[in-house]
Amino acid sequence: MPIYIAKRLLIMVPTLLMIMVVGFIIMKLPASDFVSQYVLRQAAQGNTGIVAQQDMLREQFGLNRPLYEQFFTWVVNFFRGDLGISFSDLRPVSTIIMERLPATLVVSAMAFIVSWGIGIPLGVYSATHQYSPGDIGLTAFAFIGIGLPDFLLALIFLVFAFLATGDVLLGLNSMQYVNQPFSLAKALDFLSHAWLSVTAVAFTGTAFIMRVTRNNMLEELGKPYVMTLRAKGLPEKVVIWKHVFRNALHPLVTLFGQVLSFLINGFAITSIVLNLPTIQTTYLQATIQQDMYLAGAILVLIAVTVMVGNLISDVMLAWLDPRVRYD
Amino acid sequence: MTDIAADAISAAPAAKAERTTVLSVRQLTWRKFLRNKLAVVGLIILVIMYLSALLAGFIAPYGDRETHGQFARQAPHGLNFFDETGAFHPVPFVYGLKRTLDPKTFQQVTTIVPEQKYPLQLFVKGQPYSILGLIKSDIRLFGVEAPGKLFIFGTDTKGRDVFSRILYGAQVSLTVGLVGVALSLLIGVSMGLITGYFGGWFDNVVQRVIEMTMAFPQIPLWLALAALIPPTWSSAQVYFAISIVLSVLTWGSLARQVRAMVLSLKTSDFVRAAKYSNASTARVMVKHLLPSTMSHVLVIATLTIPSMILGETALSFLGLGIKPPMTSWGLLLNEAQSVQVIIELPWLLIPAIFVVLTIISFNFVGDGMRDAADPFSR
Repeated sequence: MPIYIAKRLLIMVPTLLMIMVVGFIIMKLPASDFVSQYVLRQAAQGNTGIVAQQDMLREQFGLNRPLYEQFFTWVVNFFRGDLGISFSDLRPVSTIIMERLPATLVVSAMAFIVSWGIGIPLGVYSATHQYSPGDIGLTAFAFIGIGLPDFLLALIFLVFAFLATGDVLLGLNSMQYVNQPFSLAKALDFLSHAWLSVTAVAFTGTAFIMRVTRNNMLEELGKPYVMTLRAKGLPEKVVIWKHVFRNALHPLVTLFGQVLSFLINGFAITSIVLNLPTIQTTYLQATIQQDMYLAGAILVLIAVTVMVGNLISDVMLAWLDPRVRYD
Repeated sequence: MTDIAADAISAAPAAKAERTTVLSVRQLTWRKFLRNKLAVVGLIILVIMYLSALLAGFIAPYGDRETHGQFARQAPHGLNFFDETGAFHPVPFVYGLKRTLDPKTFQQVTTIVPEQKYPLQLFVKGQPYSILGLIKSDIRLFGVEAPGKLFIFGTDTKGRDVFSRILYGAQVSLTVGLVGVALSLLIGVSMGLITGYFGGWFDNVVQRVIEMTMAFPQIPLWLALAALIPPTWSSAQVYFAISIVLSVLTWGSLARQVRAMVLSLKTSDFVRAAKYSNASTARVMVKHLLPSTMSHVLVIATLTIPSMILGETALSFLGLGIKPPMTSWGLLLNEAQSVQVIIELPWLLIPAIFVVLTIISFNFVGDGMRDAADPFSR
């Protein structure tokens, strides 16, 4: 097992390098770069002197060096822990990421817990009460959840919240708490904002996990061992929770990695629509402005998260199910 | 189909004993599909949607760029069967509209004029349109006489009919996923066949590339790629660029599954038999291996389309996807981005209903196909 994990971690290094290459190419493909965009914006505002400075800016950011040199400097510094600076606000990329990370992690973790915490019991209920009105209702709910884009759901919630309270719950904190140190009042205010995006993203997540749980449960319930258990006279509760549910859990574990990327996807557009200070919003802005070190670092971070998530789900599966072979 | 056909031969006598009719595999599959009611409903909805997208010019009462400036921000203004006195009209009608300026608030107010009634007419003359560039006409399926206006789903801020624009938008939204899936099918299936059949260093390289594409969460990469599309490109170029962007990440998992199937099939008897009878490598791959993977591949493809449609919707919603003058459902929803707009013009969210309906239908059909792909199980 440790050898397997070590091997997987080792394979991640070349994959990561390839991701960095692709990320770098994506940032470098357009004919324009950050400086030319910046100069255009400044010139549009009447700051004509900037045109003369653009070569100096490029020199300063190292954008005038050959591509391979830029790339290797970036990669070498990256593995040394220096993620470079953000062109647009001239702070180190790591500072910006660390600023955004807590909020991102909290909302993602909340959505994660809600979708699994609600999705699994509902899925079990749905499977054990197949074709009952409850199951049909839940199935309808699941299909709407899967079909409705979560950013639209977030928008609809936003409108209802506005109609009910008169507040526009954009962002994750009210104006007076932004840039304030952590306090209980701020945490409560955070919750009053965060529920909206969390519910919107978790809605889709819950629907997804519920469907998977239901399918797995139904498949397990049809197996002969269930009939044996029932014939032995075991109480239904024991049959469902101790035997069937445990077996139905295995395919869910393999979903763990998928759910991570699902959450990253879900919050990507939702947080742009709701103006949440998450890493995904920063990523989009950085990509559009060609703030390449910032965008590149976030892309790598996201990819690593997904890869580690997949690794965790494989390891967990191997640990849960001794029949799984890994090599 | 060779292996399935072999199964069919063994299954056929059993069917004969029961019904004295022999069904082909295709018929069996179709019967199995029909047994799943949700899948059938989904298929019917999709057929209707694609037909109306194809015939958008004919069905929509107005052109997609036709503006009714004085009736901007008009709420849905539908057909009535009963007039203000409660009398029944067998032919539905719409009331005339009048725009006035509220002298107090200086806001445009639209009032219904009960005296003016415009009955619904079939095959009225409207703006000229063409279907697939082949049929040119100006006869539209339904509409009302000239001064009357028929806005079933209201109008947007520029005074364009939302119903008509949903139909035109469907042409993009419903097909961009298909083109994307076709692309990823082409790449995925050929990569899967080649890597599975030959293996070797090429297989290794492709597997690493696929691992990398799988490590990218879709939407951030889509955002990055969509942001790459130069703003100077024409709508048609953007359309194809978007479908390429959508297929970049999906071909990998398809290639993997085809590869796995080819790996297990290439040692099977029918492939060996083909090889011994001097079939060329290309023939073995295309004639024997490819059809065996097809049913599975089609199921995956059907289940991938919804995520592509959602992707296009999300990209266009953010303004990174399809751009005007072309229109798509995501672009229509793009107008309903703020709370204020949604409260004032809630009907701008109607395209979302079509998005949901399409995605659910594709999921239903995909589920039905998955069950039907193996017509001999239970």
